[in-house]
Amino acid sequence: MQLDFSAREVTVKLVYYGPALSGKTSNLVALHGLAGADTRGRLMTLETQDDRTLFFDLLPLTFRARDGDVSLRIKLFTVPGQPIHSATRRLVLQGADGIALIADSRLSETQHNADAFFDLRENLRTNGLDLAKMPLVIQFNKRDLPDIRTEAELGQLADRGKEPVYLAVATKGAGVIETFMGLLHLTWAQLDATHQLAKKLSIDGDTLLTHAAQKLGVSTPFGDLLARRVGGTRPRSGR
Amino acid sequence: MTEPARPSAPFHMAGVDGEPPRLEELVDRRALTEMILSFELLFGVPIRILAGSGTSLAGGAGFGPLCAVVNEHDAGQTACAAILSTVRHVSLPLTSSHPESGFVPRSGPASSTMARAPSDPGLHRCFTGAVYRTLPIEYDRRSIGRIVLGPYLPIEGGPRPLAAPLSTAPGGPPDSLFAADRAMDEGAARAAWPRLAQADAATVEHLGRHLTTVLDVILFSGHKALLTSQMHLASIQESYRELCEKNERLEEAYERLKELDRLKSNFLATVSHELRTPLTSIMGYGEMLAEGVAGALTEDQAEFVATIRTKSEQLLDLIMSLLDLSKLESGTAVVRVTRLPIGDILADTVTTLTPSAIKKGVEISFDAPPDLPSVLGDAERLRQVFLNLAENALKFTPEGGSVHLVARTAFEQSDGEPGLVLVAPLRQVIEVRVIDTGVGIIEEERDKVFDAFYQIDQSSTREYGGAGLGLAIVKRLVEAHQGTIHVEGNEPEGAIFVVQIPAARHSVMPNSRRSMPPIFG
Repeated sequence: MQLDFSAREVTVKLVYYGPALSGKTSNLVALHGLAGADTRGRLMTLETQDDRTLFFDLLPLTFRARDGDVSLRIKLFTVPGQPIHSATRRLVLQGADGIALIADSRLSETQHNADAFFDLRENLRTNGLDLAKMPLVIQFNKRDLPDIRTEAELGQLADRGKEPVYLAVATKGAGVIETFMGLLHLTWAQLDATHQLAKKLSIDGDTLLTHAAQKLGVSTPFGDLLARRVGGTRPRSGR
Repeated sequence: MTEPARPSAPFHMAGVDGEPPRLEELVDRRALTEMILSFELLFGVPIRILAGSGTSLAGGAGFGPLCAVVNEHDAGQTACAAILSTVRHVSLPLTSSHPESGFVPRSGPASSTMARAPSDPGLHRCFTGAVYRTLPIEYDRRSIGRIVLGPYLPIEGGPRPLAAPLSTAPGGPPDSLFAADRAMDEGAARAAWPRLAQADAATVEHLGRHLTTVLDVILFSGHKALLTSQMHLASIQESYRELCEKNERLEEAYERLKELDRLKSNFLATVSHELRTPLTSIMGYGEMLAEGVAGALTEDQAEFVATIRTKSEQLLDLIMSLLDLSKLESGTAVVRVTRLPIGDILADTVTTLTPSAIKKGVEISFDAPPDLPSVLGDAERLRQVFLNLAENALKFTPEGGSVHLVARTAFEQSDGEPGLVLVAPLRQVIEVRVIDTGVGIIEEERDKVFDAFYQIDQSSTREYGGAGLGLAIVKRLVEAHQGTIHVEGNEPEGAIFVVQIPAARHSVMPNSRRSMPPIFG
């Protein structure tokens, strides 16, 4: 997180992590498509010829609050999922303020999802970061494919876990905003608790987030968006 | 590994973390100049690209002849410099509204550059009557440089693509031109003035919009390439760091293993010695009993004592082998190197084993050409090698079979290797093949037979005895002579042990002593 008082800007780094081909880039592409023209920057993709992410993708989003007085600049990154790019994943994770783990819903990918999570934990540790203190949401993507873990089962598991879980079909834009807003909400809450951002910038976090959701083309109150997570019967206030 | 990994080196992404990227990092100046020249040719307006600091990064034809006249004297120079300083440094408001970048291709008459108010900070009037139009270059909604269009004389009329300087200009030079410098050559100035670039508002508008759009793409591509190369380098560094860390751990493990190996060798040497001492007493007293020093023995007693003595001899052999192996492994065994005829050693070996061979009904023989080159080696150790191999062959060859030792000259290199004719003579080896017609060794077992304590038949009821140390010692002895040993099959049955030892070259003087290399470096 970078806070520029003179420019009244907060820059936040969010990273979409996950196994290879789980749909991290698809999430960014969908967000880019959904975001308003005055919000989104160019989507920068550094990929190989066969569309595999080589280093990372970067989507800058800028939300202005209080009539443009305060800017919330989001740098949204993906990491390359293939195991060989571990070093690159570690580098992209540096300075991350929040993480969305994009998992593949297919039963056959269960091991890869878990491996990606262990890899995330290890790479955070190498960067001196503690997973337990990192805002984290989990997205189960590719809900439109056969042989997937059922929503009921995910709901039961999500109830037992501590991270908010969202379902998505990123290629169709479904669940993408919910995941992003869920992550932004957790991240903002954490940063605000640590740095008193709302107080320092005289802004209301909820208003800022509602405004952000609107700029992503959603009129639903962001609280309702957050409630679209799977399970969620256990009380969960910010982290 | 339970050790915590060391953190990665901090990685800074230019233009993403913190400050916006610098214009000069994203463009190639020479290529940019070429592009600017092409735009000037197309629109007929001078163009200059300035970095955030005001430094000029690229420019086209530059200032015309009027500027040269104006800058001839101090007063003109000062007035011109003041204008240019304003053009370079005056604060320009950010104009970002373009969704994808900081560049703002303005569109529509409402935002037309020429429709700006007179106080428009992007328009600068020169005392020559010409104007400069400045446009901010923005990236990610931050200013990183500026475009300067001009000086040009604003004219009325529609856009004139491919405009060449007009031969005549509307009106004439303003009074302010001459007021700026009384010493100015008025005639020259009047002649040069019409050659100023001229452009109408729409042309400048087109140019500004087009140039910002093209620059937008260039800067985005440049930033992408910059990030890619940065990430590439950082990833390599990170992988290298990881490898170094793993190497260190491997090195530590290797050192620990070396230490363990040394301890094992010491242990073996100590234990062997401690075992041998009491055994010598047992054998001594056994011998005295057998010789009747303590009185005559009954037939049974004599048989028991004989068994004690035989088994003690076997035990002593085993202990001696262990001691030998531990010396070879610890590198403390010493080879006394002399020039040796291998034929003599093979003859000795066969002579020694002939009685056992006759007893077992196995034919034993050797064949060594008299002109065979010598080898450099320790006679005692080489005798041990071939005696052991021949004894082994004899042990595994049933009655009626044969054991044959053949020596010949060979080359280490395979046929057809590059430079063979030059190199092969230096690599002449003496090859000794110990060929038997015994039980043979299956291919998968052939490398393992040289491991210490290895037995092909590991059952407790195996037919052939031995501790499995002989071949391990042989291999180390051969390697101590810079030689190699391997096993081949003998058709239709049996095994061939092939030993290759470098032949002594005439130019090489043998060292009198050298230590055998330890197993670990």
